[in-house]
Amino acid sequence: MTLATATGRSRRIALPGLGPLTAAAFAIVAVALLVALAAPLLATHDPYAFTADLNQPPGEGHLLGTDDQGQDVYSRLLYGTGLSLAFGAGAALLALAIGALAALLALAAGRPAEWALFGFVDLIRALPGILFALACVVAFEPGIATVVIALGISFSPHFALITRATYLHQMAQPYTAAARVLGAGRLRIALVHVLPNIAGALITQFAIVLPRCIVSESVLSFLGLGVSPETPTWGRMIASATPYLEEAPHAVLAPILALSLVTFALAIVGNAVRRRSELPLSRDLP
Amino acid sequence: MNAHTRRLLLGIAADLVRSLAVAAGIVVFSFFVLRMIPGDVVDIRGIEGSLTYSQQTAMRAELGLDKPWITQFGEWLTMIASGDLGTSARFAKPIADLLAAVIPTTLTLGLSALLIGTLLGVLLPTLAMLWPRRLLVALVEATTIWSITVPTFSIGILCVLVLAVWLGLIPAIGNLVVPILILALDTAGTLAKILYEDMKDIERTEYVRAARAKGLSRARIVLRHILPNALTAAVALIGLLLAGAFTGAITMEVVFGLPGLGTLTLQAIKGRDYAVVQAVIIWLGFAVIIANLVTDVIRKIIDPRLRSA
Repeated sequence: MTLATATGRSRRIALPGLGPLTAAAFAIVAVALLVALAAPLLATHDPYAFTADLNQPPGEGHLLGTDDQGQDVYSRLLYGTGLSLAFGAGAALLALAIGALAALLALAAGRPAEWALFGFVDLIRALPGILFALACVVAFEPGIATVVIALGISFSPHFALITRATYLHQMAQPYTAAARVLGAGRLRIALVHVLPNIAGALITQFAIVLPRCIVSESVLSFLGLGVSPETPTWGRMIASATPYLEEAPHAVLAPILALSLVTFALAIVGNAVRRRSELPLSRDLP
Repeated sequence: MNAHTRRLLLGIAADLVRSLAVAAGIVVFSFFVLRMIPGDVVDIRGIEGSLTYSQQTAMRAELGLDKPWITQFGEWLTMIASGDLGTSARFAKPIADLLAAVIPTTLTLGLSALLIGTLLGVLLPTLAMLWPRRLLVALVEATTIWSITVPTFSIGILCVLVLAVWLGLIPAIGNLVVPILILALDTAGTLAKILYEDMKDIERTEYVRAARAKGLSRARIVLRHILPNALTAAVALIGLLLAGAFTGAITMEVVFGLPGLGTLTLQAIKGRDYAVVQAVIIWLGFAVIIANLVTDVIRKIIDPRLRSA
């Protein structure tokens, strides 16, 4: 498989002078997590309260101004941090669970199951990513669970492919042969012996997929197919403020900057995680 | 026929069978998943306009929506197989006409972006390999991180805000150049990352060391020994990049107000116009499958190592 070879074989680019950037990225992620947890303490207004002050510029009373519904942008941004992170993490976790488990079960069950599953993986990958999520979102009631499930399914191939690549590598190791000699079944070897050993690769993949899930959630929301309009995820905020770009650019800029900053930081952190995790991996290789 | 040719043909046959299976899967998927949507096009028309109950029933009968799913599926399959895409119940036009009206925009957007992006995506890592300076390597890394993290739609909105609303340089609706550049940068980043990492890998191989030991110049080693090998692997990405370019095109069309496949799909989804969404999913899916099949076959022909699979 193309993606498997691409991700399985690739090495991190050794980058000069990325040390401080990685540190800054970790700091940004830490701050975002703190903000997500402390949003009720830091917020100055009720993020769901409508007022008559529509599209007010930043200043007195409203730190970052108000949006087209008169809602406080600053407070919505704070609450949106937790929501956007939670939806992204939820989708990425679901993708990990579906992708890794399905791949391990299919690989343990043998050729026909493997062929069927990875045929399905091909199917999902043949559809442009967002189109699959779109189809899922419209097929079920729109809402939080649907968005998480749709993104979880459409990102699961990432985990299925990495699971297959690492599984094959682990099955060539002496310890799986030893387990087989001791009489362990294929399923037991896959779940009890191989799974803990590929956990590192899965966590690395999670770190890479997480920012993409957050971005995809915002794209779905932007297209009007994500969470309901009242829920202040960043994508939803961007979507509802875009028609008023001229009157209230701050209401669009604030969530765009927050979204870009956090996904940027998460991607740098993901790269750092991947760089670390590859040290033992490359030593394993013949 | 020698063993090599036989293995090549067997490999291509296996690719063909897999592609056909995936294509069949897409046809079934597009029909059944969209039928799970609560409400049909008649319901939506009923909410929007003033169709009476008997008009709604008559419309359902006319569209065949009152028949069991499996009958609908059979009739739909026969229709699709004969090349007829059906009629959009929402726009009251043949779907083929609807698609013909929007496809040029999306094709221009997607293919220009793919072309410029591929050129940039090959050029940048090659330059960084030829002259491994900090600046060039950082440039490769910057496009890579840009393409992973910065959502194209938010950059699109920023461009509309700065270039159209504030500076008045471009019209807020209907500009094609800016979205093409945004998507091209995105494509370039995806390609540059994988190509650069591959080239770094190849640089460590024995045959490159042998070439260096022979005293070949760096330019010759990079251009004649490393790049062609990395490119054969990168060819596999074309299908993925195509899918990515379309995904980006959907949002770019919405941001820049372009009448393309993306805007049509969104309208169709919101209007529960199954037939249009099905047609879009099927034809896009087929395009990606064909792109993947062609690239797989090309790779097997140019790279003998892949034939055994």
